[in-house]
Order: sequence, then C-alpha cells, then structure tokens
Amino acid sequence: MKLTRRTFFKFMGVAGVSATGLAPAAHAWESKAPPDPYGCLVDLTRCVGCRKCEEACSTVNKLPAPERPNCQCTIFEKKRRPDDKAFTVVNRYFTGRLDEFDKPLPTFAKVQCMHCQDPACVSACIVGALSKDETGAVHYDVNKCIGCRYCMVACPFEIPAYEYRDPITPRVRKCTFCYDRIKKDGGLPGCVTICPTEALTFGRRETVLTLAHKRLKENPGKYIQQVYGEKEVGGTSWLYISSVPFDQVNLPVLPETPSPKLSETLQHSLFSYLWSPIALFGVLGVFMAKSNKAKDNHPQHKGGA
Amino acid sequence: MIRKIIFFAGFLIFMASLCPADVWKAPDQEKAKERAKEEVPFVKEYKDEFLINRKVNLMEKGISIKDVKDIYFLLDNPIVKKREDHYEPVRFAHKRHAALTKDCSVCHHFRPKDENALETTRCSACHQDSFNPDHPERIGLKAAYHKQCMECHQEQGKGPTDCKGCHLENVPNHKELVKLPDKADPFQVTAECLRCHDVQATDMLTTAHWLWKGPSPYTTGHRKDIMHGKGTTALNNF
Repeated sequence: MKLTRRTFFKFMGVAGVSATGLAPAAHAWESKAPPDPYGCLVDLTRCVGCRKCEEACSTVNKLPAPERPNCQCTIFEKKRRPDDKAFTVVNRYFTGRLDEFDKPLPTFAKVQCMHCQDPACVSACIVGALSKDETGAVHYDVNKCIGCRYCMVACPFEIPAYEYRDPITPRVRKCTFCYDRIKKDGGLPGCVTICPTEALTFGRRETVLTLAHKRLKENPGKYIQQVYGEKEVGGTSWLYISSVPFDQVNLPVLPETPSPKLSETLQHSLFSYLWSPIALFGVLGVFMAKSNKAKDNHPQHKGGA
Repeated sequence: MIRKIIFFAGFLIFMASLCPADVWKAPDQEKAKERAKEEVPFVKEYKDEFLINRKVNLMEKGISIKDVKDIYFLLDNPIVKKREDHYEPVRFAHKRHAALTKDCSVCHHFRPKDENALETTRCSACHQDSFNPDHPERIGLKAAYHKQCMECHQEQGKGPTDCKGCHLENVPNHKELVKLPDKADPFQVTAECLRCHDVQATDMLTTAHWLWKGPSPYTTGHRKDIMHGKGTTALNNF
C-alpha cells in the first residue's frame, strides 16, 4: 500500500480517536485552594488616594521609596502598574461621577497581586517556585526559580514583574501578601496597617466576603452589586467593592473558571499514564515498519537517488 | 560650608539659652492630653434610630451646644497609634464644630443600646481596634475619625481633606538619628546637623539673619529699603 500524505493523516486521526477512547478517563479537575485562607477587602468608595499603602509596602518589603511619596496630585496623571520596585500602586480614575457642584469625582483603585485561590502562575511554574500557602498567599521561592517568566505570561492580572535590570540574580517580584507578617497571630499586611480610612479590611476570606455582601445589601444605591474577586478566575484573596463598574477602574472582566482548570485538564488527560506519547510513538513505529517493508519490496529504488 | 557651620553653631547656643529649666505648660492642653489617653469600655451593642429620627430625638432631649464642655479634644487615643504613628494628633475643635453644624447627630450618629448610657458617647466607646473579628462591620477608631471628618468636609466643601490640613508630621526621634562621638566639639555637632538639614542651612544663608542686610518693613524711616542692615547701612547697636 502506498502511504500518501492524505492516508497518513487519516490513519493518525483514527488512531488518535481510538486511543482517547481507550485511555483511562482523567479524574475531574479539583481546586487546590487552602481551606480557610485570609482575604482582604478593598472598598473603593473609601479610598482617598493618600498612597500611604505604597509607602508602607515599600518599608515592609524593603523596596525603594515610592515615586514622589507625598504627591497626591500629578502622580495620578499617568496610569501606573506594579513593577519590580513597587508591589502596589494606587491609580486615579475619573468615571463620570459628579459631586453637587458638578465637579468630577475621582475613584482611586489600588493594584497588587490578587492572590488567586487557584493561581495561574502557580500552575504555569515548571519548577514549583510559586506556591499557594495555607494563609492564602501566593508565595515565591527565589531559590527554585529559573527565570522562565511563564508566571508573567500566565497571570490574568499581569502582575508578576521581573528584575530585568539585574543580569546576574534577577527575581520575579510581586506582592507577597506579607505572608511572614500575617502568619503571626493578629498580623496584618503593611498596606492594611497604615490605611487611614479602612478602605482595606483584612480577615478570613469568608469573613470579609460576608462583610462585603453586607455592605452591598445595606447600601444598594451606593455600590455595584458585585464583589470583584468572589468568582473571577475561581476567586481571589483580594476582593473589591466599588460604586463604579470594575472595568472602568482597570479591573479586567474575567471568566469564572479558574485559569488552570482548562490547561491542567488538557495536560492531565493527555499525559496520564503517558498514553499519548506511547500512542504517538506506536503509530510512528507502525508507519516506519511499513515504509521499511515497502522499501525492501522494491530494492531497485535503493541507491537510486 | 564654613559659613554654614558658624551660623549653626551660633544658632544652637542661642536656642539653648532660650530653654528654661521648667517649661510652662498650658493647663487646657494638659487636660486634653489626659483625656485623650483615657480608655473606655467597649460598647458592644448600639441602637440605630435612623438619621432623621436621631436628629429629632437629640433635639427633643434638649441636647445642644450648651452641653459641650470641652472647647477642643486632642484625637490622640493610644488605639489610634497602636500600629502606625506618623503624625501629630489632630486638635478637634468640638465646640466650634457643634456651633457650625448645629446638629449633634452628624457625628453622634448612633447611641449605645443600654438606655442608662450617655446619649452622646465619645467616638472611642464604639470604635476601638480595627478588624475586630466579633464585630467585622465596626470600623476602627482611626478610620472612624478619618471617614467622619473627610467625608463631611468633602460634602460641605469646606475643611481640609488632605493629610497636612489637619496633622503635623511627627518629628522623628533624634536620639536615634544623631550619631556623634563622646564629647563632640561644636564643629562636629554642627556638621552632624548639616548632614540632614542642608536645605534649611542653605535657606538661612539667604536671609537677613546671615546676610545682615535685607528688607526692613518695620524700621521707621527705612520701610522701603531693601538692603538695610548691619551689612550695609545700619550701625551695630549691640
């Protein structure tokens, strides 16, 4: 039988489909979120844009002082992102809200790692440098990191930053959730400690989530009836409530499925018991044996080239 | 640099001579400080009368500015400084705010559920430490102050809404900052001051205190002079 390109693909397709049917059904994907993690509620209606959280963060994490720490005005002209020198930044948004004198009202929004319940970065990390610990913090271990930066690509919030300026020992940098502080009884993250208006509320995720829903219920006109981070990408440790739609304060619209669910399901069903490579190489083996046989039957073509 | 050093040495001697052994203390200020330190038992349950009712109830009970005993408070409760302490306490003019708003319910929004308790309790009775797991909805004292003041100032369009409108920044403890050898000489002391206070020193060099000449708006006959002083036109009258 002459093996054309077309018949080869047909053969491969049939083999693939039958192999999938035979393969043991991959067990259903399960969330690996810790049972009772901490959480932090950001109430955007309370944030006054003092940027003290940035200052506290840099002190606690021994980062360089934030850019113009006392500026509460022109610094907001540009939209900033967390980077390797600042784990959190506050941005100002004018969303069309007006006060009684028709003056536009600003909405301030703090950005930092959301510490997802099922983090895409942890799933993407090939060496286990990133892990979700029992406090809820997504913890980075610099000793394991190989600098592939898959976490940066995987993160739906585009948070992990890389020390590109450091050619010898670069690290991936992001908010740590101050895990060494919150591990202690009564410990709070740096930003939460300093917030003058309690725009940040720290506690068990369940507690702050209940609190968030309570605020939404008691002030239905004030808030958008959604807790951002409750369901986004399977839930995050940082939760936001706001009086303006979340996409207007640069919080992306995200699906409710955890990011690693699709990739891990795919990967685990393809590679369980290594059936797919075995099938592939089996098929290739058959193909090779056949083509060798075909060559043996027509020795006159040998060396013809 | 030498000019700066001489100036600072003179300035330090001058300041030292100004400090008498026992400093006079303002009695009202001392009283306010004492009051700020007081800790009161936590009010667990409160009564929400709804804002309009609350206003009417307070009026019916005849509570008004005449019940305000203290002219001002220092908002300096230890709870506020428990975790972070960056600013000097705010001096809250209680009587003035009462006179301006003429409505106690603006701040005294709820009352304790216990009927025997005072009608208008202090903020720190209900608002104490932040993130109390038993009362997650109750905001801490510092947040309560900030929210109450800033939101009202914003709504009313008057009163400060920035940090330094109400606070002075804490003067850092110089015992830890100043690093001097034992029995330092005056030049070392001055150099140590200048290590951080270079801007102040440069600023001083442009004033009449250093130049011995400058504008003299309060000197009769020389009101319009801009270069008057011992450095130019005046005699040394020491």
